[in-house]
Amino acid sequence: MSFAKPTHLTRQQVDDFEREVDAIRASVMNDLGQSDVDHIRRMIRICRASEVGGRALLHFGVGPLSWVAGVLALANAKILDNMEIGHNVMHGQYDWTGDPALNSQKFEWDIACDGEQWRHSHNVTHHTYTNILGKDRDLGYSLLRMTDAQKWKPRHWLQPMANLMLAAGFQYGVGSHDLEIGKYTHGAISKPEFKARLNRFLTKTAKQWFKDYLLFPALALWSAPRVLAGNFCANLIRNLWTYVVIFCGHFTDGVAIYREEDTRNETRGDWYLRQLSGSSNLEGGRVFHILTGHLSHQIEHHLFPDMPAHRYLEVAPKIRLLCVKYGLLYNTGSLYSQYKTVMKRILTHTLPPKNATTSPA
Amino acid sequence: MMIAASNSAAPSTWVEKLAAPLKAALQHPWVESIVRLSAVEDTLRSLHPMLSLTEVRAQVVRIVDETADTKTFVLQPNALWHGRHGEHGPRAGQFVQLRLEINGRRVERIYSLSSRPGARLLAVTVKRQAGGLVSPHLHEHLKVGDVITIGQADGDFTLPTLLPAKMLLLSAGSGITPVMSMLRDLKARNYQGDVVFMHVCRNPAEFIFAKELLSTANRFPALSLLLHFDDSVGRFTPDSLQSAVPDLGERATWMCGPSGFMDAVEGHWATNNLTAPLKSERFVAIPMLPTTSPGTPVTVMLALSGEQFVTSGNAPLLEQAEKAGLSPKHGCRIGICRSCQCTKKSGTVENLQTGELSSMPNEQIRLCISVARTDLSLDL
Repeated sequence: MSFAKPTHLTRQQVDDFEREVDAIRASVMNDLGQSDVDHIRRMIRICRASEVGGRALLHFGVGPLSWVAGVLALANAKILDNMEIGHNVMHGQYDWTGDPALNSQKFEWDIACDGEQWRHSHNVTHHTYTNILGKDRDLGYSLLRMTDAQKWKPRHWLQPMANLMLAAGFQYGVGSHDLEIGKYTHGAISKPEFKARLNRFLTKTAKQWFKDYLLFPALALWSAPRVLAGNFCANLIRNLWTYVVIFCGHFTDGVAIYREEDTRNETRGDWYLRQLSGSSNLEGGRVFHILTGHLSHQIEHHLFPDMPAHRYLEVAPKIRLLCVKYGLLYNTGSLYSQYKTVMKRILTHTLPPKNATTSPA
Repeated sequence: MMIAASNSAAPSTWVEKLAAPLKAALQHPWVESIVRLSAVEDTLRSLHPMLSLTEVRAQVVRIVDETADTKTFVLQPNALWHGRHGEHGPRAGQFVQLRLEINGRRVERIYSLSSRPGARLLAVTVKRQAGGLVSPHLHEHLKVGDVITIGQADGDFTLPTLLPAKMLLLSAGSGITPVMSMLRDLKARNYQGDVVFMHVCRNPAEFIFAKELLSTANRFPALSLLLHFDDSVGRFTPDSLQSAVPDLGERATWMCGPSGFMDAVEGHWATNNLTAPLKSERFVAIPMLPTTSPGTPVTVMLALSGEQFVTSGNAPLLEQAEKAGLSPKHGCRIGICRSCQCTKKSGTVENLQTGELSSMPNEQIRLCISVARTDLSLDL
């Protein structure tokens, strides 16, 4: 895949598109109220109950069945905490409530990624520069080659393996993302700055390890191995799930990649168009949407990152209609079909380009 | 383990002494990563709505209809309330913050305590403001048995420990609530001096606390009650005050009422060079929407750093602050990442994305998409 071509829409059409998307946004944002707060609080309650239940099953259960149930409950809690609660709260989706427990700048989540660092790497870098090569560091997470525009290096032969490792340890990938190791090795980040970032990441990781691999196993006394293994597996399941959902949000077939120079002087309409063409959705039921933190509606999320995510369901059909009206691609599919294209892309770009002289159009 | 430094002057209840280290422990970053304070608070709340480590909560035990549009809510606070601690407790004339959630949004309003300080129960008396948000909500939705969150008593519109020999308590409309509390306090302290209580309102039907005041006047020798009903004797003026209370210049006065009323009385003090102390309490209404047109220079105060800058109000606050040599925290500069989010303490801003103007105090704004439309105070 090469860079996205300038849109076929005229200036006027882009401006009209902007107004229509703004109107969709306003219709929801002016309607926020009790049901939105009730939704997120219900999710928090379910998440807590799932964690307490899961840990209880791991600690006090006997036999493999209760272990499996415990792992699933704990994984479910971590997934809800990270996706539907943490990700969305930290986007500021509930700042309007004034509830300190739902405050985007204070929230901290159950994952190895430090909240403050995530707010920078995700909210600032990724959401501002979505799919701009060289600016959006989520593109391949500095690890994978996802487009022909990225230079092939011999280490990319190991890309399938790197992909597997990133998936299994996704929380550490996300957690170390804001370190910007590449920038540091190139001297763009000073040593003290890098050390401070590293320290933050390691402290958060240590906290997570202390909790899952020391404190709770120790509390379980003779069941320590059972608890430790259970916590490890719950973390692993959460890692794999978040990895799949997030990779399906931006790396599927048909998702556009941009050049920095093409995105200068963007109007909000242009920005909307880039968010739309840089994201892809997943189809599924209500529970599936919740477990993805509504990132199954990645398109709507990128258009309206601070709208309470459960509202994407009512917004999506309207955005889809707009896409039909303006002749734009609304990239959506099942998890299976979307992930298939992600895998295809990862594998394709493992190989060196056939014609090395091809330059982006 | 970290123990929070206690607020030196603040008294604490035994429950607070128990709760404080627990709360501090739960706020320790390592403990917080295992169990969040908010989870503990929610669990306590579900056990009993009054249970909390951090919040003063109060249960509505009685609602009294004072007039057609005024109600008194009598509240039983939990043990975190500094209410019954003698000299550290609430003082007559102070106010308390009520915190409610209305349609998912947290709102806070302050109301004068109308109850006698030191009483087991506390009370706020609320006049229903047409078109308001909180007072109609309180009138319509707050029921006996409900639990709300309140703050500690605060404010310096209070009676001194040593009382002057001659006093005037002067009120108009719903401004009667803090001075009523003062009168109740005087009665409880068996005040032996001379207090004139003058209240101004339109007519007897709007006279809050009428029954109690009239019966107090009969039984409390120190009190002379003067009433001024605009509908029957004409609009209140400082001259009518002067003729009703000829020794005005000898009385220490506590006054509360609408701004126009208080401005007039204060003006009377100034023009007549009255030297007797005049203390007043103003309830500042939420400022009205915009007061300056785009382009008018306005001053932005940064409350935390003490800096300030002047902006013409055409460009986002972030840009203006940077132009003034400041460097507030920022990220995307297009309103999505919230890195530049801060609390606007007062003033009116325009949201550049929605064109919406807002004047709410203590509101979260994003510097990169907000333009000043009046003088502002920011928590930066």
